[in-house]
Amino acid sequence: KPECCCLSASTGNMDGEEFTMLDALNKVTACYRHLVIALGSTSDSQNLREELKKTRNKAQELAVANRTKLTALLKDKNISKDDRAEYERLWVLFTSSVELLEVDMKRSLEIGQDFPLKVPTRHLIQTGMTGSTTTVAARAMSVQNMKYEADANIDTVDLKELETEIAQVDQMMEEMEMKVQVAPWAVEAKQEAGAELKSTVSVGNSSVGVISICEEEPKETVEGETGLMKVFAGIIFTGVLLIAGILGYLVVNL
Amino acid sequence: MTINTLSQDGVQRQQMPCLTKMERMIISMQDPDMGIKLRNQRLLITVIPHAMTGLDIVEWLIKKCSISDEEALHVGQLFVKYGYIYPLKEPRNLILKADDSSYRFQTPYYWMSTRWPASELDYAIYLAKKNIRKQGELIEYEKECYNALHKRINHTWDFVVMQAREQLRASKQRRKGDRIVLECQEQAYWLVNRPPVSPEHYKLTTLTKNTIAMISLARNRVKSSICLESYVKYCEQYQPHDPIMQGCLPSNPWITDDIMFWNMNSETVALPTKLRVERWSFSFMELLNDQMGRKEFLTYLEKEFSGTHTQINESIHNPYKQQFLAPGASRWVNIDSKTMEKTLEGLKRPHRFVLDDAQMHIYFLMKKDSYPRYLKSELYKNLLARAIVPQETKKSVFPFMRRQRHSSPSPALATQTAEDDGKAKYSNSNSGTASRL
Repeated sequence: KPECCCLSASTGNMDGEEFTMLDALNKVTACYRHLVIALGSTSDSQNLREELKKTRNKAQELAVANRTKLTALLKDKNISKDDRAEYERLWVLFTSSVELLEVDMKRSLEIGQDFPLKVPTRHLIQTGMTGSTTTVAARAMSVQNMKYEADANIDTVDLKELETEIAQVDQMMEEMEMKVQVAPWAVEAKQEAGAELKSTVSVGNSSVGVISICEEEPKETVEGETGLMKVFAGIIFTGVLLIAGILGYLVVNL
Repeated sequence: MTINTLSQDGVQRQQMPCLTKMERMIISMQDPDMGIKLRNQRLLITVIPHAMTGLDIVEWLIKKCSISDEEALHVGQLFVKYGYIYPLKEPRNLILKADDSSYRFQTPYYWMSTRWPASELDYAIYLAKKNIRKQGELIEYEKECYNALHKRINHTWDFVVMQAREQLRASKQRRKGDRIVLECQEQAYWLVNRPPVSPEHYKLTTLTKNTIAMISLARNRVKSSICLESYVKYCEQYQPHDPIMQGCLPSNPWITDDIMFWNMNSETVALPTKLRVERWSFSFMELLNDQMGRKEFLTYLEKEFSGTHTQINESIHNPYKQQFLAPGASRWVNIDSKTMEKTLEGLKRPHRFVLDDAQMHIYFLMKKDSYPRYLKSELYKNLLARAIVPQETKKSVFPFMRRQRHSSPSPALATQTAEDDGKAKYSNSNSGTASRL
């Protein structure tokens, strides 16, 4: 049974600067996927398109940084066998992340083209999702709040850029395959089956999501947003205080 | 909506047309005026919009496509089966019920697509996420899939775990209603793309996959050196017979418009060409494939035997062979006792292939025995000696006496002919000078 060890430091399967960068790339990739899932649905908006653009740019920056770092490490002939095995494992992590990113970029191009926003009758799919994705994007960009400054025709303009970026990523992946000779199937994962049940959490980065991992996923029929409840309670409490104050004043004066 | 994606591995994959049609219909269902009427789904505290009843869907289909009840239900079923619409109450039961059971639209990312088939990596991430959420309580078949995946893509398992955690964290950022929808969507997607199988069926499918794999490993392989040797031999043998490599005598009809070549090689000619007769010696099939060759072979067999084999030869192409094998039949046949028994068995309950064994036996008999003897026989040798070698048509010395070449009325060739004529004249004048010398 997993304990709620939310605030524990990351366990030592990976540490060091390489991991932080990889961790960041992993996080941004996950957020990007989350945003692409919202494309074409009722959650889609100009803001979402801008979020997608910013997130994927960040992802690409991280990808390039990771690649430079890891290629340098792998090219070094004087590393120990253990180190090399570790770097190869990180390399496989990195390539998997980039592959996922590439697929999502291609899909976002396709869906973005199919669902333009500036048309007289929008036909976004009514999926039941109506909230905004701004918090997810903020998490990806590691900021508190997202700022939106794009033009109104971002949904069409961005697609052209996206095409070029996809080509760039494709090229980068080809180069990676050529230059770095790592056999992915030879890498052994450190995590065993079921490892995700042990809640290890990476340090830093957005504490908002940290605590909730250990919670039991609330069932549909049970309760609602705990945050909202707290606000309600606060309001009611203040109200009661006010009423008590007024009554007291009246009692005193009458 | 068939938009070509940028090529992946240089291959442009297209969405299947029926899926494109379904997508278009789904989009037309979203129309604010003419689309499907949507209601709210009330869970205890949360209200999630955009739910519809099965009845709504069927009615809309009837109205929109002017089809019958039954057909509308069937079409609606397809939408659910392919995952464009998913049920809310019983997610594992992918059926459309024309009553008040609720359904919802699937987001475009999770639409069925031939361009983006569901990947194992994604499935592994999904199962890992589910594992975290359910704290290890996965359903039986999901557990099996999970373990199988853990073995198969073990090298990226760290990535699977990391990504699963991060994706969960990302979805925690959304508000409650959206989170529920996200979960339902993803679950519906995987129920469509990785339908649950019963454990026995799962074991059976893995077993068959393994046996197929083992069989293909055990297949006989020929060394490429041996393969290539026989390939080279084949090429050498057939080279003189190839009109492109060797040129054909008297002349290539396509170039000179002279159809003598075809006339000389037709099926009913009196004397065959030498090349043709030589070709019969390459293999039995060559002999049989040539009408004239077959006739010659028959004549030979008639001379040699009392005619049984000849009849059988005909019977190879004749389905009505009953007369041959019944004991006391009008014509007897030389087949061994085992085949005879088997065939007689089969004749008791006749089917199309009852005489195939006998036919096979006779075919091999002829190939191994009669055919080599035919090649050594006087008949064949005489024919070979008599066969004609056509003369190459002489190109006339004077260029303007030569027959004009008729090129096909194609614009591409119109410019070519001028060039060709020029070249031909040049080569002709050369041969002309040579002959004079």
